[in-house]
Amino acid sequence: MVAVKRKERDLMASRLTADLIPEAGLRTVITTPEGVRLAFKAADFGTRVGAFLLDYLIMALIPIALIILYLILPLPYLMKTENWNGPLVQVLIILFLITLFFVRCGYFMVFEMGPRAATPGKRVMKIRVIAHDGGQLTPAMVVTRNVLREVEFYLPLTLASVISGQGGGGWPILVALLWTAGVGLLPLFNRQQARLGDFLGGTRVVHVPREVLSYDLVNLEAERKVGIVFSPEQIAAYGEKELQVLETVLRERRQATLTAVAVRIRTRIGYDTPPDPRDVTPDETFLKAYYAALRSHLETRMLLGQRRKDKFDATR
Amino acid sequence: MSEENAPLQLKSQKFREAREKDWRALAALVDRAEKGQLKRFTTEELLNLPLLYRSAISSLSMAQSISLDRNMIGYLQALCARAYVSVYGPQARLTEILSGFFTGLAQALRRLWAEFWLAFVCFFLGAVGGWLMCAHDSSWYTALVGHSAQGRDLMASPEQLRATLGGAEKNDWLAVFSVYLMSNNTQVALMAFAVGVMGGVPTGLLLIMNGMMLGAMLWLFVERGVGVEFAAWLSIHGTTEILAILMAGAAGFYLARRLLFPGALTRKAALAQAGKVAGTVMLGVMMLLVLAGIIEGYGRQTITGTGWRFAIGGTLLVVWVLYFTLAGRPRRKEV
Repeated sequence: MVAVKRKERDLMASRLTADLIPEAGLRTVITTPEGVRLAFKAADFGTRVGAFLLDYLIMALIPIALIILYLILPLPYLMKTENWNGPLVQVLIILFLITLFFVRCGYFMVFEMGPRAATPGKRVMKIRVIAHDGGQLTPAMVVTRNVLREVEFYLPLTLASVISGQGGGGWPILVALLWTAGVGLLPLFNRQQARLGDFLGGTRVVHVPREVLSYDLVNLEAERKVGIVFSPEQIAAYGEKELQVLETVLRERRQATLTAVAVRIRTRIGYDTPPDPRDVTPDETFLKAYYAALRSHLETRMLLGQRRKDKFDATR
Repeated sequence: MSEENAPLQLKSQKFREAREKDWRALAALVDRAEKGQLKRFTTEELLNLPLLYRSAISSLSMAQSISLDRNMIGYLQALCARAYVSVYGPQARLTEILSGFFTGLAQALRRLWAEFWLAFVCFFLGAVGGWLMCAHDSSWYTALVGHSAQGRDLMASPEQLRATLGGAEKNDWLAVFSVYLMSNNTQVALMAFAVGVMGGVPTGLLLIMNGMMLGAMLWLFVERGVGVEFAAWLSIHGTTEILAILMAGAAGFYLARRLLFPGALTRKAALAQAGKVAGTVMLGVMMLLVLAGIIEGYGRQTITGTGWRFAIGGTLLVVWVLYFTLAGRPRRKEV
C-alpha cells in the first residue's frame, strides 16, 4: 500500500521510468573495435519464437510446394512407366533430395551468413544476428549457433517420435520433452535472451531499430522571452532520470499527462501560482521552461563530472 | 538560471548543430546499404561509410558524456548500431574471410589433436567390435547394418556383393543413393558435434556405432572373399568421409571438454571460444562431406579398377594429412 501511495504522489515514480528507459530492459552491450560500448535491444523471447515458427513454416512448405509442382507439371515424358527409372527422374529426385538436405541442414546457416545476417523469419520480425565480441560475424559462429539446433530441437523430437513409434512411451518421452523445454526456455533466464547456440557461437540476436532524430526541446531564446525564473533550489529538486521522463512527456504532448506532471512539479518545487488564473502560465510552457532550466543545470554539472542520477541521489 | 549570463545555446546543442549533417549523411548511406544497394555505391561513398561511421561512434561517446537529450542519444545509438552492422556485417570482407579460412581450418583442427585421436580410437574400436560381434554371431550383421544394406545382406553371394561395388549398373539408383548418403552423413556429423554439449558421451557412442557399422560390413566382404575390392571401393570416398566424421566427433569432444573444464576462463567465455574453433572445424567437415558426396556419386561409378580406387583414395588421404598437419604453420625463422 505504501508503494502504491508513493506512485500516486509522484508521477515520476520508478515504475514509470522503468518502461521509458530502454537501457533498463533486455539488452546486449557489445564493445565495437573502436572501443565504444554499443547497447542493442535484445530480441525478446516472443519475437524469437515468432521468427522460429515462421522459418519452420517456410521450411515445411518448400518440399510440399515441390511435390505439388511435380504433380501439376504434366510432363508427358514422366508419365510413361518405362521412363520411371530413366535419368531425368533420377536427376529430379537428386534435386529434390538436395533441396530437402538444404532445408534440413543449410537453411539457417545460408541465410545468416548472408548480408542481412537473418533468416526470412527473422527479417519479418526485424531482428538479426550479431557477434557478441563486437567483431565480425564469422561463418564459424553462424555454423556453431545453428548446428546446436540439433540438440536443442531435432534430437529430443526425433527420440520422442522413435520411442513412441516403437510402442514405448512414458518417461523417455517425458525426459525428451523436459530437455527441449529446459534448453528451449534458456533465453528466458538471461538478460540477453541468448539460447544455447548463441552462447556457444558467441552470437546474440538483437533488434536494430530505426530512430527518428527529433528537434531539441530546449530553445533558450524562447525561454528568455517567456521569462520564467527558477531558484537554484527549485532546479536542484530533480535528477537525470526525472529529466528524461519530462522529455518523454513533452515529446508526447498529451494534455492530461502534461497537466498532471506540471501539478506535481509545481507542488514539489514550491512554485507559487498567481492568484489570478489569467496570469498562470500554460502547463506546457511551464514544463518546457523547467525542462530547459533543469537540463542546462544538469549538463553543466555533468561537464564537471558531478552527475545526479535521480531525485533520491544525495549528491547535490 | 541567471538570465544575464545565459548562453543562447547549451553546449550539447552546439555539439549537435556541428555534427548533425554528418549523422544525416550516414543515415542516408545506411538506409541504402540496408536495402542491399551496397554494390551500387560509388567509390567515394564506399570510402565515406567507415569514416562517417567512426565519426558517429565518437559523437555517441561524446554525447553520452555531455548531453542529456534522450532523443538525440537514442537516435545516435540506433544509428551507430545500424551502421555497425553494415560496416561489420558478414558481407563486408568475404574475400578476407575466405583467404584466411583454409589456414585457419588446419590450425583449428591442430588445436583439437587430442580430441581427434580420441574420436579415432572410438571409431576404430567400434569397427573392431562390429567385426568381432559379426564373426561371433552373424545375426548381428542385420542389426548393425540393416537399414542401409542396399543388397549387401547375409544372403548375398560374392558375385552379388562384387556387383554392389562395381560401376557397371548404370540404371541403378546409385547416384540418388549417394546424395541420400551424403545428407545422412552430414546429419550424423552435425549430430556428433552438437551432442558434445551433453558431456561428450553421446558423441563417443555415435562414433562407436558408426565404427561398428563399418566393421560389420568389412567382416561380410572379407568373409565372402571380396575384402580387397571392398576396401578399394570404400577408400575412394571413405578416406574423405571418415576423416570428416572423425573431425566432427573431435569438435564435439572439444565442446564437452571446454564445458566441463573451462580452465582459466569463465564457462561462458570458454564455451564461446570453443564454439568458434569448433565452428571452423565444422565448416571444414561440411566441405569435406560435400566433396565426398561428389566423389561418391561420380568417381565410384566411372573409376572401377581396384588399383585406381586405392590410388585416388590414398592420394586424397595423403593430401588431407599434409594439409591438416602443415597448412598455416608459422615459418621458422632462419638464423
